[in-house]
Amino acid sequence: MISVTPTTQEATQLDLENLSADQTALTINNLNLHYGEAQALYDISMAIPKNRVTAFIGPSGCGKSTLLRCINRMNDLVEICKVSGEIRLHDKNIYDKDVDVAALRRNIGMVFQRPNPFPKSIYENVVYGMRLQGVNDRRTLDEVVERSLKGAALWDEVKDRLSASAFSLSGGQQQRLVIARAIAIEPEVLLLDEPTSALDPISTLTIEELITELKEKYTVVIVTHNMQQAARVSDQTAFLYMGKLIEYADTNTLFTTPSNKQTEDYITGRYG
Amino acid sequence: MDKINTSRHISGKFNDELDAVRTQVMNMGGLVEQQLRDSLLAIENSDHDLAEQILQRDYKINALEVQIDEACVQIIAKRQPAASDLRLIIAIFKTIADLERMGDEAERIARVALESFNNDQQQFLVSLENLGQQVLAMLRGVLDAFARMDLDAAYEVHQMDAQADRQYEGLTRQLMTYMMEDPRGIPKVMNVLWSARSLERIGDRCQNIAEYIIFFVKGKDVRHVSPESMARTVGRSAPEADPKD
Repeated sequence: MISVTPTTQEATQLDLENLSADQTALTINNLNLHYGEAQALYDISMAIPKNRVTAFIGPSGCGKSTLLRCINRMNDLVEICKVSGEIRLHDKNIYDKDVDVAALRRNIGMVFQRPNPFPKSIYENVVYGMRLQGVNDRRTLDEVVERSLKGAALWDEVKDRLSASAFSLSGGQQQRLVIARAIAIEPEVLLLDEPTSALDPISTLTIEELITELKEKYTVVIVTHNMQQAARVSDQTAFLYMGKLIEYADTNTLFTTPSNKQTEDYITGRYG
Repeated sequence: MDKINTSRHISGKFNDELDAVRTQVMNMGGLVEQQLRDSLLAIENSDHDLAEQILQRDYKINALEVQIDEACVQIIAKRQPAASDLRLIIAIFKTIADLERMGDEAERIARVALESFNNDQQQFLVSLENLGQQVLAMLRGVLDAFARMDLDAAYEVHQMDAQADRQYEGLTRQLMTYMMEDPRGIPKVMNVLWSARSLERIGDRCQNIAEYIIFFVKGKDVRHVSPESMARTVGRSAPEADPKD
């Protein structure tokens, strides 16, 4: 087993090329993606380790969000999008024909750039997924709300006003509410697509702190434009450029001694 | 300059800041080199005026250390340097600390030049001069290597220290013999010994700076590693074992 120290960056380095089965959450093999004629991802292969934070970085249009969306098949919603290759979760290719996409998305939750709470109470936002699954027992739902809001580090701030509208919360609180909603249905993997880009620095730090706690229970994959954020919260970082995976390494290594020149140029702010 | 690529940042101001701080380090290195060279001259020629000038000039080196420190802190606070930029700033931080201490050692040598030596004792000053030239060559070499961030040149300087250490040991033995033969000369000989010690320390500090250069270029910390491991890092075959090391 991997030893994980949740609040520091000192987690043991993994050999990303040779992860054992019980260290691996997801394996991406030769993934290619086309939007119509245009190819957006080229032959991506990588293993995403379990109970760790993996960051995707790269300039706009490099394919990092596209890659993230492939992981819970959000790209299925784009008609002209064609995917080849595979993403394996528990030895099952999630692009197999017999995969129940709704079930897949329950297992792989996603949080977007702008907080998107539903126009409902805080309580109803958190239990939304449970209700969809037909769970209506009040005691079960109460437990889920408390557990999820605590897990998203929001419980203390909202426990006395659970019936208030979700829109009464600040942006940072809304984003944590959305994270609580995502973890209420206990996914294995949490995908975060620039979760703090619409937040102020203090809310950003709260979310970052939360991310390091979340990895104890979940595998976290985060897309971020903020390189310092990737350096702070992630255990390993993948640098993508023009749809290709340029470098994938332990975060401490990538930000101090990247082995690829393109990575070096990007993280030091040089012309490519 | 090309190896460091400071000119390719998207932010032109960042380029300027890094270039300015590097220029300051080279100025500081130049000052230290001048202090060392002059202190050797002052001893060789018993030039008390020159020795006095050296003592008065040391404050310039100290002031530059403080200025460069401040500039590096500003860069870290404003630019959050990463990868090679970060390694450059770290290498500069460490380099200037060593340069400042070298300046202090040169000052110590200059104080010895203020003493008067009789004819017998003059012979030790010649041996001191030999060690001094070796160390001065190391300092020049390491400053050149720093200016170009030249891995090979840094490694060459690192290897030169073994020779300086041997010269220092030889000189120490010679001085001890003299002290046993003529105890009345001990106070003067002790001063020569301290100077030799200062020179030897300057050699060690040149070696440190060579290690920071290797750290910058290769991203590997080569302090306290075996000679074989260091040779591997810089892509050389291991040096022959020195029976005296």
